[in-house]
Amino acid sequence: MERREILDQVRRSSEHLKGIFGGDIETIISEQRYGFISGICKQVVTRPMEERLTTSDKIDRVVINRVLGIPIFLFFMWLMFKFTFTVSETPMGWVEAGQEWLGDTVGGLFPDGSKLKSLIVEGVIGGLGSVIIFVPLIFILFFCIAILEDSGYMARAAFVMDRFMYKIGLHGRSFIPMILGFGCNIAGIMACRTIEQKRDRFTTILVNPFMSCGARLPVYALLIGAFFPEKGGTVLYSIYILGIVMAIIMAKIFRKYLFPGPPSPFVMELPPYRMPTIKGVIIHMWERGVLYLKKAGTIIFAGCVLVWFLSNFPWSPGYSKDYDVLKQKAESDFASGLVTKDTMDETIINLENEQAREKMQRSYMGSLGRIIEPVVKPLGFDWKIGVGLAGGFIAKEIVVGTLGTLYAVGEADEESVPLRERIQNDTWPDGKKIFTPLTAFALMVFALLYIPCVASIAVIYRETNSWKWPLFAAGYTTALAWVVSFMVYQGGKLIGLE
Amino acid sequence: MAKKITVALAGNPNSGKTTIFNNLTGARQHVGNWPGVTVEKKEGNLKHDGYEINVVDLPGTYSLTAYSLDEVIARNFVVEERPDVVVDIVDASNLERNLYLTTQFMELGVKLVIALNMSDLAEARGQKIDTKKLSEFLGAPVVPTVGHKNKGTDELIKAIVDMADEKLNMNRVTAEYGEEIEEEIRKIEELIQRDTGLMQRYPSRWLALKLLEGDEEVAKKVTGEEI
Amino acid sequence: MIEGRIMPLTMAPPCKEVTLIDVNGGRGIRMRLYSLGLIPGVRLRVLNNNGAGPLMVAVMNLRVALGRGMAHKIMVEA
Repeated sequence: MERREILDQVRRSSEHLKGIFGGDIETIISEQRYGFISGICKQVVTRPMEERLTTSDKIDRVVINRVLGIPIFLFFMWLMFKFTFTVSETPMGWVEAGQEWLGDTVGGLFPDGSKLKSLIVEGVIGGLGSVIIFVPLIFILFFCIAILEDSGYMARAAFVMDRFMYKIGLHGRSFIPMILGFGCNIAGIMACRTIEQKRDRFTTILVNPFMSCGARLPVYALLIGAFFPEKGGTVLYSIYILGIVMAIIMAKIFRKYLFPGPPSPFVMELPPYRMPTIKGVIIHMWERGVLYLKKAGTIIFAGCVLVWFLSNFPWSPGYSKDYDVLKQKAESDFASGLVTKDTMDETIINLENEQAREKMQRSYMGSLGRIIEPVVKPLGFDWKIGVGLAGGFIAKEIVVGTLGTLYAVGEADEESVPLRERIQNDTWPDGKKIFTPLTAFALMVFALLYIPCVASIAVIYRETNSWKWPLFAAGYTTALAWVVSFMVYQGGKLIGLE
Repeated sequence: MAKKITVALAGNPNSGKTTIFNNLTGARQHVGNWPGVTVEKKEGNLKHDGYEINVVDLPGTYSLTAYSLDEVIARNFVVEERPDVVVDIVDASNLERNLYLTTQFMELGVKLVIALNMSDLAEARGQKIDTKKLSEFLGAPVVPTVGHKNKGTDELIKAIVDMADEKLNMNRVTAEYGEEIEEEIRKIEELIQRDTGLMQRYPSRWLALKLLEGDEEVAKKVTGEEI
Repeated sequence: MIEGRIMPLTMAPPCKEVTLIDVNGGRGIRMRLYSLGLIPGVRLRVLNNNGAGPLMVAVMNLRVALGRGMAHKIMVEA
């Protein structure tokens, strides 16, 4: 009962004080606090800081300038991405080489064609490779972000971008996660923590997947290499822009209907510019990078192993030809001098590729692809593409590798010429070509928009504390991807682009 | 047998708190989450002179009101978990604004140590701060530090340990709010002091002040505990 | 600008010192601004006003960015 008394007294006191001061008590107390502080400072500080324009202010005159602000910002963004992608190329090459070497070495320890060998080499080492190959890119991106943050520039960038974010219904702080999303959507979604208001935060999280992440690049590279050899740069650019446009549209819609509310107040301190320290930058980069590895890495790895399983089982489906017999024949042909060693090698490789292709066709993954085919046919895709996209659900890194197997070129990456050629020449049963530039573009659009990888779904779950939003994200992105791809493909056909 | 103490690191964003946290804990830090929310919690360890010090990095805040999740987290940690010492990182070139947070820690009656950070910058501009006087006015030791050069770290650790051990004779100080308000605070405090449950958990003056301010989070703590 | 006239911060003359009179906002916003040093009686200066988008203000030796909507609620006196 005493609690009641306390609260009653509080009420009486605050009414009494409101009567005396005419304003609310919090204000009065805040003012008194500053008064107290001011009194102290006067006695403690000699030659207090003058209110004058500092070097930082002079720099800001240019950096947040009405005219120069945006171009400067775009320049830094371009610089950051150029630096990141260029510098990460070499280490990425090392990882690929390392993965191959490791696969060969370890694989050599196991009997050919054994399940264990396949599991270890393709499943485990392949899976690890898929994760680790992006590590240089991620870390370098975080390195750049850390420099921009520690120097104080990021705050200015948020300032400059606020004007446009406001029109979408978000504010300046939302744009940093978007920028990060171009490197990795997982990093972008995690960065949304700095956005205070739930309505802004959730909106930014939900549209982050449209920032085309680094893992989707190999898919674009493969298709551009095959179908847009001349205008490659423009096509790539248009895909990225499309992503941004979709993000803006969806952000506006979400902010208005899903998370309504007044625009959140934008208040932010702009710290003075300073030279970032190596130590500080490295620590920031490291923290974020390790977090990515833990969160994304484990899930993507697990996903890769799952895909390995689905693509490799049933282990020994009924084949259309007896590959073992054919291989033996090739070997005996060589032994008896009918063919050269080169011919034998080629024959055997072709047989193995065909066998791999058939195996995948008859695997669970293949069955999945055939079930999906009716759904993706209106977009101009066939079941093989369906399987590739299904793999992409787990992790975009897998798509090209899966396509490589499906087109019977063995191990392939986006620069593989054989894969490119196979894709260019693949036909439907009736002989018509599956892939045209239009289809390729529609496929890129689909890859851009559809469900982000499983790891990002997991992160959305973590950041929103419910299953509702990750499932919604998965659903709406895939639906949107289908619709837009459909419009691109059918629309293109209508105006005769096919 | 090592003596264990918990230290909370607080301060404005951009005050150099992270750098000092890194200076104190080096590589021995790990990141987690504050319970129930998606806000990062950083903790680290250091050993000094027979002490095992667990450093908790509170979110950077400008104040300790109920209006922002970060502030509620910082405040709750100090009130509920009762760290042995709170270190407030104060930006020397922005003394007035930074002390706004400090006065609120003073009100919480915690064992406070002030790190006067970026003191090199202020000095370079001709500003001089009488740390001894400041210390008296605030009722807490004031240690000048230069975080990004790792200067003052040892002195800071020593002050933390001395404070924890109550080796320093500091008079607890708090801001005064003028007669009328103080009178009402006194009335409320009297009633609070009769409630042993509350007295055990919260400093009475702080509680009175927060209730008077209409702080909803605090009001919940009082009413929520009604049997 | 007539001396002594009260206006929203968005209309304050650039780089000239003005005094903060009041904030037309809810408690949450007011406490937020207070904790950044923007309290009644404080002297501040608008360093950057691009006509659209946020403003940059110098107060208590700090630089604070304020969204336009919020700046409009802050009343100052020249």
